[in-house]
Amino acid sequence: MSLSCIIVEDLQVAADYLNRCCEKSGQVNVQGRFANVSDALQFLDTTSVDLLFLDVEMPGATGFDLLDQITFTPKVILTTSKPEYAYDAFEYNVSDFLKKPFTYQRFLDALKKVSQPVIQTTDTVTETGIDHIFIKSDGKLIRLNNNDILYIESMGDYVKFVTMEKKYVTHNTIKNLEEKVSKQDFMKVHRSYIININKISNIRESGLYINGTEIPISKSHKQDVLKRLNII
Amino acid sequence: MYNEKLIHLFPMANETLPKQFIFNEKLDTEYLFSLYADDYGYIEEVLFTTLQHFDQDFDSIQLAFESENIADLRKAVHKIKPTFGFTGLLNTQLICKDFEDKCSAVASVEDLTNEYKHIRNTLIEVKGIIESEHKRLKEFNSNPL
Repeated sequence: MSLSCIIVEDLQVAADYLNRCCEKSGQVNVQGRFANVSDALQFLDTTSVDLLFLDVEMPGATGFDLLDQITFTPKVILTTSKPEYAYDAFEYNVSDFLKKPFTYQRFLDALKKVSQPVIQTTDTVTETGIDHIFIKSDGKLIRLNNNDILYIESMGDYVKFVTMEKKYVTHNTIKNLEEKVSKQDFMKVHRSYIININKISNIRESGLYINGTEIPISKSHKQDVLKRLNII
Repeated sequence: MYNEKLIHLFPMANETLPKQFIFNEKLDTEYLFSLYADDYGYIEEVLFTTLQHFDQDFDSIQLAFESENIADLRKAVHKIKPTFGFTGLLNTQLICKDFEDKCSAVASVEDLTNEYKHIRNTLIEVKGIIESEHKRLKEFNSNPL
């Protein structure tokens, strides 16, 4: 299997090394290399790729700014020398985090994570219906009524279903769930969040609020969110 | 050392053992090998690329300090920092990391005067080492036998 990717990295020696690792692996086809977010975004406006190798701190804008602006959901491997970004990486549903410099073996390990097929829907969500879904959590299948779910949050290779009473963590991705949950009740508002539209209590500039929790809305989803609301 | 002993005991082994380049002691050879194995051609390329960008990155650090812009100073040091990992200069990478952390902890550039002198002198020194290692390695690679 060959994945298409781009490298967004402002340090040339790091971009060269990454490119070399990709070529050596024979599993990744590098479609482009960019030293800043703006050039990468211009490319991604017309071309979608399977995978982004993304530095965080770059001139002008950060790698996270790029993730906020793209309109599709590629796999992402962050490449940075600052481990402090690990938490943000987690928030952005990043597949892996490569601390520069990294060995070829570590690169292959990261690639393995993104090359694994998305967990089969039947493994985690066994039934979709108009008003409920089943999720596999703690070794059992649990029925969640759509009306009980407040929002779904990405946690790397896992997602968290948040209800009024409890939180359930299950192995899945936001991308997969976006296609499975009821479109009437749910919508994706950020690459890491699907929310129950009926549960929004208010919206501010910074994000929307559900049961007191602030949930970010990405720029690319903002218009869609506003269209779905019954604004008078 | 091991190779020398082996060659002494078994002179024919010289023909099968890979030729080794002895790096300056400031470069962590084991670490370089963990990244590039014995691909000396590529290591030469890494040193060359590093030198190509060194002055520009160094100037950014100096400019940020002189203009007392602590945010830019941190960013500039953050940018150059991984270079020293890729070139096996792990101590310099650590000095950069410490400096970067201090930039986030102090209120003004003035609080970093001593640390800045230290990092500036370190960078000037390591540039010389990289230049020298690049030159030696280039010669080594052009004479493989």
